[in-house]
Amino acid sequence: MKQNIFSARVTACAAVALLAALSGAGAQQGVQSERRITAISDDATRSVVIEQLSLAKESGLPAGAMEPLMAKAMEGVAKKASSKSIRSAMDALQKRLRKANDLLAPSPTAEELSAGADALYVGVPEKTLKQMRQAAPRRSIAVELGVLTELVARSVPAAKASKMVLDLMAHGATGAQLTAMNTAVQSDVAAGLTPEAALDRHGRGIMSLLPPPPAVTGANHR
Amino acid sequence: MIDDRDELIERVARSLSPLPPNNSRAKAQILAAVRARRARAPRPWTVVLDWMRQPAFSVASAGLLAAAALAIGFVTRGALATLNEPQAPLASSAGATPANPNVTAIPAANTPAVVRAVPVPITFDSPGAKSVAIVGDFNDWDGTAAPLTRFGTNGPWTATVKVMPGRHLYAFMVDGKLVVDPRAPHARDLDYGTDASVLMVNTP
Repeated sequence: MKQNIFSARVTACAAVALLAALSGAGAQQGVQSERRITAISDDATRSVVIEQLSLAKESGLPAGAMEPLMAKAMEGVAKKASSKSIRSAMDALQKRLRKANDLLAPSPTAEELSAGADALYVGVPEKTLKQMRQAAPRRSIAVELGVLTELVARSVPAAKASKMVLDLMAHGATGAQLTAMNTAVQSDVAAGLTPEAALDRHGRGIMSLLPPPPAVTGANHR
Repeated sequence: MIDDRDELIERVARSLSPLPPNNSRAKAQILAAVRARRARAPRPWTVVLDWMRQPAFSVASAGLLAAAALAIGFVTRGALATLNEPQAPLASSAGATPANPNVTAIPAANTPAVVRAVPVPITFDSPGAKSVAIVGDFNDWDGTAAPLTRFGTNGPWTATVKVMPGRHLYAFMVDGKLVVDPRAPHARDLDYGTDASVLMVNTP
């Protein structure tokens, strides 16, 4: 009996300590966000931000989605946007974040969610996000999504940019190689080359440096 | 032989016989010292173990334990966050290529499983400015989070900000007004109508 009480209390101690440690980051972040919200001088804007963040929480968006939402709100404040514009921007971002959360399942990071939402914003097809997650299920693809977003934002056709980035990922291209390709494409476009031609040129250049993707083995392989 | 042994016994008996009488003062001192030792505050781990062995559960003690655990949790997280911070920038490191040619992202030591913020040196030319800060999605567009300092009297404004790998939007706040970076690509902003600059940071 005495031993049972002893072990129950040991377990209780461990559980309390674990919960406390896990709650630490969220609490710290919450305090920071609260400080930023209370610093908003316009009452209407402050109400909109609180309302939108509450709606996002109630709708079941993961904690990681709150960071880009908060950043979007504060961007509006910094740009002296009206409360109406901020509500509209936060609402639209919430929808993109929800979609990105589904497409980048099972557990996208805050950076991936933000990058996924940005990719959808510029017109990257939804299925591309899913394919990118499948191509790299165990590491962050925030850089790859960022490069794809930049390419599409610079008028490279979304389908072509998606295919190139997916091909390069399949061949094991690093984030640094993709970023270098993006920088080179932008330089060529600034020099007068069409975005498509620039992507072809630099995408193939990087591809030539990479080994072929590993062969797929399966039941039908003979 | 037997005689010798008897003599030895006699000598031992003689040496043992003058034992000191029972000293009551010494006895009192010893007992006082033992009592004082028992009265001294017990060690913390002894208290915890004693608490765990007590048959009754006390709400107050559980509350105290929870408070202590919270404090430990926060302190531990803070310490771990400090440990996880990247090292100081190395001038010739490679691996991060920002979209802004003026900005060089410097990677830090990293483990494959954890993505960490990368210190990015920032420079901005604005000789006539009184104050410059960099604002972006990485610091909630907070004009007080990352102020730049002027290099010399009329030199460029500089700062190093920690940014997670990926694509980021930013601007400079020059004397309270937002200004895009003239040397970085711009991103069209359909939400608020004010364009921002683009910063690409690689995974180190």
